Amino acid sequence: MGVVIGIAAIVALLSITQGLQNTITVQLQSGLATDTLIVYSGRSFGVGAGVGIGAANSGFKLLINDAATINELSPNIEMTMATIQRTGYIKSGEIARVTNIVGVDFAKYKNIYSSTFVAESEEIPQNPENQMVVVGKRVNDPWKSGTLFCSVNDNVEIVWTNATARPPRNETYTGFVVAVLKEIGGFGIGGPSDSNVYIPMSYAQTFFKTDEANMIIVKLTDSDKSTIDSVSKAITEAFNEEVSVVSSTAVLNILANVFSIIQLFLGGIAAISLLVAGIGIMNIMIVSLMERTREIGILKALGMRSRTVLLVFLCESVIIGLIGAAIGIASGWVLANVVAMVFRGGGVFIGNEAAGTGGMAITPVLTPIVFLGALGFGVGVSVIFALYPAWRASKLKPVDALRYE
Amino acid sequence: MILVTTVVEVVNVKKTYMLGKIPVNALCGVNLKVESGDFLAILGPSGSGKSTLLNLIGALDKPTEGKMLIEGVDISTLNDNQLADLRRRVGFVFQFFNLIPRLTARGNVELAMSIPGLGKNERIKRAEELLETVGLKERVNHKPAELSGGERQRVAIARALANNPRFLLMDEPTGNIDSKTSSEIIALVNGLNERQGVTTIVITHDQRIASEANRTLHMLDGLIVQEKVNLP
Repeated sequence: MGVVIGIAAIVALLSITQGLQNTITVQLQSGLATDTLIVYSGRSFGVGAGVGIGAANSGFKLLINDAATINELSPNIEMTMATIQRTGYIKSGEIARVTNIVGVDFAKYKNIYSSTFVAESEEIPQNPENQMVVVGKRVNDPWKSGTLFCSVNDNVEIVWTNATARPPRNETYTGFVVAVLKEIGGFGIGGPSDSNVYIPMSYAQTFFKTDEANMIIVKLTDSDKSTIDSVSKAITEAFNEEVSVVSSTAVLNILANVFSIIQLFLGGIAAISLLVAGIGIMNIMIVSLMERTREIGILKALGMRSRTVLLVFLCESVIIGLIGAAIGIASGWVLANVVAMVFRGGGVFIGNEAAGTGGMAITPVLTPIVFLGALGFGVGVSVIFALYPAWRASKLKPVDALRYE
Repeated sequence: MILVTTVVEVVNVKKTYMLGKIPVNALCGVNLKVESGDFLAILGPSGSGKSTLLNLIGALDKPTEGKMLIEGVDISTLNDNQLADLRRRVGFVFQFFNLIPRLTARGNVELAMSIPGLGKNERIKRAEELLETVGLKERVNHKPAELSGGERQRVAIARALANNPRFLLMDEPTGNIDSKTSSEIIALVNGLNERQGVTTIVITHDQRIASEANRTLHMLDGLIVQEKVNLP
C-alpha cells in the first residue's frame, strides 16, 4: 500500500507536469511563429537574451511608425507590423462580452500567422473597410455549445473605455463580422487568439485615439538563432535599449527551464512521500517477519539455508515492489487524468479575464522515463527497506523461531 | 544380518539458556547412544530437558558443552550451512504440527523436498505416496485448517519422512490429539519403525507409546535418571 501511494503520487505529479508543459509548449508554438520577434516598449531585466517584457518604465513609448524604422534595420527582416490592443466589450444584441480588441493590418497579420489567422468559412479581406471585424472562435461560440454569440454578417458594437478622457467615457462604434477565425486552441504572445476581436489597424488608430503601438511584430527571413540574435541586438540598440525583444525560442527555453524546476520540486515532494512509504514498507516487512517467525523456523528446521531465507524475503519484496509500483503507476495515471478532467471541466484560464474565455486542456503524459523510473523506484524502495527484516529473519536460530508465539 | 550403527552419540552434553540475566541449566551432562533402527521413548516431567535434548539431536541448536555426534560428526564444529544440510536428513514432528497454513497437505510435504531441490514431478508423486501411506489419500488438496488434529499430525509425519530421513524425531506427537487418533498415530509410527527400520526418538507422556518403544529413558532436571530396555 505504501509503495502504491508513493508511486501513484510521483506518477500523477510528474505526468500532469509533463502534460502541462506539453500543452503550454504546443499552445505557445501555435501562438508564436518561430520566425517572428515581438518588440515591446520597456527595458528587459535580463532573464535571458532579450526576454522580459516592460520591466522598467522610463516613459518610452513604442509608436506605430517605429515599425517602419525597424523594417530598415536589417536585411533579415521580411516585414514588420504594429498592433494596438485594448480591453473592451463586444456587444451583440443585448449581450456584451469582455474581450481584447486588437488593431492589426489584416494582410500582414495573415502573412505572418498564415496557419492561425485563417477564417473558418469566409475570406479575411486584404484591404478591409473600417467597419469590418474579425472575431476569434470563442467570441463566435463562447460556450462551445453551438449557441452562437455572433456570426458572419452580424452587426456588433465595439466598446472601449477611454480612461484618459475627462470624464472617462465609453468609445463605441458599430461594425459587422466579416469572418470568424478557425479554432486555434492556443495562446501566445503576439499571435492570434480564439478570444480576441480584430479590427483594421487604420481604423484602430482613430478609434483608440493613439499613435502608440502595444507591440511590433517582426517577421524574419529565417528562424536561425544567429538571425534572431543579430536582429534582436539591432532593434534594442536602435532604441537605446528602451525596448524588449521577445523571441518564441527564448520563451520556450525559459518555459522548459521553469518546468524542469517545477518537475524537480514536485519530484522532491513525491520522493518525500516515497520515503514515508518506504518506512511504512519496512514496518510491514517487520510485522510480516514477526507473523511468520514460526514459518521461518519451520523452513530452517526442514533444512533451508540462511541465505535462501534471505533470498525468499528479498524476492517477496521485489514482487511486492513490482505489484505495488504497477498498481501505483496505474492509479497515478488515473489520478492525473481525473485532475486533468477537473481542469478541463472547470476551465483553467490563462492570462487576463478577457483572454480567459479559452480553457486549457491538459493531457497527462507518462513518459517512458517516468514509467521505468517509478517501477525501479518502487522495487528499489521495497528491496532496500526489506533488507534489514530479511537479514534478521535469516539470522534467527530455528529453535528460537519455532518457539516464537 | 542387520548392520547396526550408531546414529546419535551424546557425550556429556550440557546446555545452558539465559532467561533474562539468569542462566538456566536445561541439560547437565547427558550421555546417550542411539543405534540405527532404535525406537526410543523419552519420558519426564515438564522442564526436565527432553525437548532441549531432541532439538540438539535434530541440529536445531548447539550444545553449550560436550559432544553431540550425529552420524559421527560433532555438530558443534558445523557452520550454519552444514547444519542446514544435516537437518535435511532428519525428520522432525512437532507437538503443534508446524504446518504452513497457506499450503495444502501435499504442498507441505512437497516443501520439505523442494529444499534439497527435488524435481516438481518427483515431489508431487512422492508427496502423494507418503500421504497415502499415512492414510490421507483423499485429503491431499486440503489445507491444514480443513484437517483434524490427527490428520494434521499425519501430514507432519509424511513431511518428516519426505527426504528419507536417517531418523525421525517426534516431540509429543500425540500430545495434542484425542486418544483414538493417538492410537492410529502410534500404530503408524510403530509400523514405520518396524517395517522400514526408521530410527525413531519420541518425547512423550503417553505410556502407550512408551510401551511400544524398545528403550525408554526417564529424564529429570536435565539428566537421564533411568533407562529401560523393553523386551519384545
